Amino acid sequence: MNKYKYIGKKEIRIDGREKVSGAAIYGDDIDFGANLLYAEIVSSTQAHAIIKKIDTKAAEQVEGVYKVFTGKDFPYKFGLYMKDRYIFAQDKVRFVGEQVAAVIGRTPQAAKKGAQLVKVDYEPLPAVTNQMDALKKDSVLLHPELGEYPHVPWFFPKAGTNIAHWRKTRKGDLEKGFREADLVFEDEYHVPRYAHCAIETHVAIGKYDLSGRLTVWSSSQSPHTQRHLFAEALAPMGLTHKNIRVIAPHVGGGFGGKAGVTMEILPAALATKLPGYAVKLRWTREQEFVNTYQRLGVVAKLKVGVKKDGTITALDHKIYWDAGAYVEYGANVVNAVGLSAIGPYRIPNVSIDSVCVYTNLPPGGAYRGFGYSEMLFGLESHMTRIAKKLGMDEVKFRLKNAIKEGDSTAYGAEMNPSGLIECIEKVAKEIDWGKSIKSKDPRKAIGKGFAIFWKAPAMPPNASSSAFLKFNEDGSINLIISGMDIGQGYQTVMAQIAAEVLSVPPSKIRVETPDTDRNPYEWQTVASHITWGSGNAVKRAALDAREQILSLVERVFTISKDQLYLEDEAVKCTTRQNFHLPLKDFVVNGIMTEDGTFKGGPINARGMFLPEFSSANSDPETSQGGHPNVHYTVGAGALTLEIDKETGKMHVLKAVEAIDAGQAINPDLINGQITGGLLQGLATVLYEDMRYDEKGKLLNPNFTDYKIPTAMDVPDEIVPIIVEVPQPDGPFGARGIGEHTMLPAAPMIANAVEDALGIRIKSMPITAEKVALALINNSKKRKK
Amino acid sequence: MAKIKFTLNDEIRTVEVEPNEILLDVLRDKLGMKSPKCGCDRGDCGACAVLLNGKSVRSCLVFAIEVEGQEVRTLEGISQPKLTQLQEAFIEFNSFQCGYCAPGVIISATELLEKNPHPNLEEIKEALSGNLCRCTGYTPIFDAILDVTKRRKK
Amino acid sequence: MAVVHEFQYHKPTSLKETLQLLAKQGEKSRLLAGGTDLAVYIKEGLEYPESVIDIKRVPELSKFEVTKDHVYIGANVTFSDILENQKIKNNWQLLWESARSVASVGIRNRATLVGNICSAIPSMDSAPALLCYEAKVHLRNAKGTRQVAIDKWWTAPRKTVRKADEIVLGVSLGKPSDKHAGCYIKLGRYGGEDLAQAGLGLLVTAKHEYRIAWCAVGPIPIRAKKTEKLLDGKALTPALISKAMDLVLSEITPITDIRSSREYRNHICRIMLQRGLEVCNDRLKSKKVDTSRILGG
Repeated sequence: MNKYKYIGKKEIRIDGREKVSGAAIYGDDIDFGANLLYAEIVSSTQAHAIIKKIDTKAAEQVEGVYKVFTGKDFPYKFGLYMKDRYIFAQDKVRFVGEQVAAVIGRTPQAAKKGAQLVKVDYEPLPAVTNQMDALKKDSVLLHPELGEYPHVPWFFPKAGTNIAHWRKTRKGDLEKGFREADLVFEDEYHVPRYAHCAIETHVAIGKYDLSGRLTVWSSSQSPHTQRHLFAEALAPMGLTHKNIRVIAPHVGGGFGGKAGVTMEILPAALATKLPGYAVKLRWTREQEFVNTYQRLGVVAKLKVGVKKDGTITALDHKIYWDAGAYVEYGANVVNAVGLSAIGPYRIPNVSIDSVCVYTNLPPGGAYRGFGYSEMLFGLESHMTRIAKKLGMDEVKFRLKNAIKEGDSTAYGAEMNPSGLIECIEKVAKEIDWGKSIKSKDPRKAIGKGFAIFWKAPAMPPNASSSAFLKFNEDGSINLIISGMDIGQGYQTVMAQIAAEVLSVPPSKIRVETPDTDRNPYEWQTVASHITWGSGNAVKRAALDAREQILSLVERVFTISKDQLYLEDEAVKCTTRQNFHLPLKDFVVNGIMTEDGTFKGGPINARGMFLPEFSSANSDPETSQGGHPNVHYTVGAGALTLEIDKETGKMHVLKAVEAIDAGQAINPDLINGQITGGLLQGLATVLYEDMRYDEKGKLLNPNFTDYKIPTAMDVPDEIVPIIVEVPQPDGPFGARGIGEHTMLPAAPMIANAVEDALGIRIKSMPITAEKVALALINNSKKRKK
Repeated sequence: MAKIKFTLNDEIRTVEVEPNEILLDVLRDKLGMKSPKCGCDRGDCGACAVLLNGKSVRSCLVFAIEVEGQEVRTLEGISQPKLTQLQEAFIEFNSFQCGYCAPGVIISATELLEKNPHPNLEEIKEALSGNLCRCTGYTPIFDAILDVTKRRKK
Repeated sequence: MAVVHEFQYHKPTSLKETLQLLAKQGEKSRLLAGGTDLAVYIKEGLEYPESVIDIKRVPELSKFEVTKDHVYIGANVTFSDILENQKIKNNWQLLWESARSVASVGIRNRATLVGNICSAIPSMDSAPALLCYEAKVHLRNAKGTRQVAIDKWWTAPRKTVRKADEIVLGVSLGKPSDKHAGCYIKLGRYGGEDLAQAGLGLLVTAKHEYRIAWCAVGPIPIRAKKTEKLLDGKALTPALISKAMDLVLSEITPITDIRSSREYRNHICRIMLQRGLEVCNDRLKSKKVDTSRILGG
């Protein structure tokens, strides 16, 4: 049925050969020769303290140490959505691991040696390491000047507290909704912090040349936004966007951790004090754990009212976020969930409080799912429990309440077209919902878990994408765009879109990683929005190219444009069978006419996309009235879980996930996101486990004790299902799915554990140990 | 400083190293081989894997001076003169996403297929269990290797 | 990662040369075989030897002999060497399963069994097998040789009776002469490589002799003598196994650490003993049992 040549096809990744041969260049692979200096960072050992003195004398004496810098060299703030963050700590440190000083060495050894000799005197302050304590009236304040911080207009900080932002969503009449309910169920859910663990750690090299131009090579998801933040932070030093250039090499995984700016500000700033040299900073794995963004922690209080027939009448969702010492990015996670914490359900009476709380822990920030994984753990656990209490099948319960096109979202906008019902039905069928399985092994129990999910891109209303497109003499195309392929296959998908419009195969389309001086603006590669946003820009650029091509041929050959089309890299004509003009003959050189003159010339095309309907304006007390989310992507998942009743160890026998991609541009890459995302999600619920001590120190900043999935941890069977209900304003109907695939994992496991063993675990991770000890406690209680 | 000589990708190389220089760093910074990557610096992730005398080792845990007189092979030495059947399969199956783990995985998979030309899925998982991949969920990597073994059987 | 600590590197090519170096440098030196522990310690500043003595080129230390009744594992023998040996796979099952559980291929290709028992981290996977096979550690210094029974080898976490000028030449293992079966069961947090949160080695003979050894649940690995005494001479029945399980907590002293709690370890060790004994019983009857998922997950 497929009406396209390249859309909807499994195309081979256009960056595949580069990555498999070892040709792909990542940040640390770039050579700078003898011009390169090495930075080593001195980090805080205190969670909250005044810096009394930094003694750098011994460090400066080390042979090979060039210079030493501290916060007083860079008294500047920065931040993506709120300016609460420092290049180097100033008078205070606010988390263990915060950067306090930098030693610049001519060799890595010298820098490291020097860093070991920097002495910092701290005067400890009371530290608060969980959000509920930070909310108490007598808690120490992390940011006494909170009221003065510049921030985006849709944030509402509460000066004089540790509340950096409070998103309130109120719809309908909550009390009335609960009165109408036949059953009201309340409970609390806890989700800890998590780490991205991209295999490549953060790395950036800054060079401030003798002409006053700053170049930063950065393993980043967001080169243009990085340039902007550098320009803001370094403006006091006279730098503006014109003189700042960010070049992104291949990125070895991002997952949100390489969005915005974290450690990259350090080599960028340091470079300005080291003119003529390049200076590299590469995080060790330990630094990667403690001083980059982390996924925020959550304490969620849910209260839901339902009628006997399963209709949800009211939802009161209070979510308290452990957002860390600086929330310039994390506060938007809180905001995004505050607008969407009803889940993909139709609920008339809603109250959501999403509270962003400062704590003396590393900064929370963007992590795949942007808060929705944390929210859905509680919500989807809760919905399953409610269905059970009603004596209703939980899939039927979800079908009954599933949000449909045109229904009202939490903030009063209309839900976009979505295949949620189809996703639920297909998943239920594939997992054989309703049939319980008994294990042949008497020591094992098997349970099934179900969850639905949704997410919208969380972006400012002017998040835009652009594309330039040019041809080469061999008919190949350079697609010049600034999204980042962080593994999801972005370059290939963009190539497929251009390929479809211009009838040039993706293998003849080159997409490189961007240079902000050469590639036009892209906001960030986050939010699962670039298939949609950048895809639209690329499609427009390709259409622009096609328009130029057909107009030229019309002009030169006097054939009406509406009789011309592109096929197999040539211009053809519906009315003249023999008309066949290969693109490579003229897309650079122009068309030679009979009198020897040339018409046309190089085809240079452009496209841009900005969602002009999006607005963050809304009532600050209710969130009603805005259009902050461009659209939601929806899906459903289920799994069959085998649990050893004595050890608590769990094994996923089969996992099914359906997602509505609108139009799958490359189904193989979507399957890749489903497989990879599901495994990452399962890891957060089954064994990833960040442990902090009471002094705010991370106890397991390595892969020995923070376990991420190996080849031995893959479920026996994963069935991906792609549903396609087109997104009207998406390129060929597509919308993004990259983050969503991990969203249902945690509640599916919690629900399957309850199904198999009758115990409900309301905190993550749900480890074998937790399950075994819960079973033991249960049987002890029963014996009494 | 000691001057050591060893075979790197079939070529005899000479390099000066201090005893405390790590093989991974020397390969990358002094000998022009950028394919082995640093992921964790403790031997936990496999991104630094290279073949030492045909066996995969964590080059982040080897001091360069130890490999004097030995044979080291990195991905650069596998990709030439042309990509192997295994590598072509990885491309065809879209086995990698960000690609950072790919050099280490290809080293481990190459070692596996040398030892055992027809591994089953369990053996493939075991051989790759020391290579962490955060992106793919491993399945398309297995699929590519299984396809190669199937084709070899014919 | 740049290594700040500087040291001298020696690569002796004979045992004599090695011993001379040790005699001179003793405490200030470290022996380097696979380096999978030492390299990490030096990189992270946990060890700072003045010299490192690479023993990989010393032929006497690479001896690896396997017969039906006797195994000798020289200092340079890696876990991969052990794993790839068919005789060990067929006749020394407990040792083979222990080797298989160590980390992953890339580590096993370098890590040595002797290095494992010298690093002496309480969770060392080789310990239960060596205890059950009643291994002997062969040491040598410039003055001569000596043997230490493996159950006298460890004194505390990370500490052995090796003197600073001694080198471990290798470890020799003996088997019970009767028909027997063995297995190694390891508690990890998931399917991938992990340091043992508890490790159990078992050898059970057809004549009802039992050898039971634990690692990771006490400061040093131990033989569970009380449990062995209870079972000695008796055929395994569910009732007897249940009694043995009740003795487990009196012999192990696990702690709560970042990997696991004492409570969970106590609970799992009972299960491990039960399932381990069942596996050995089945294997004695020549049943093929795969222990890789014996604890589930």
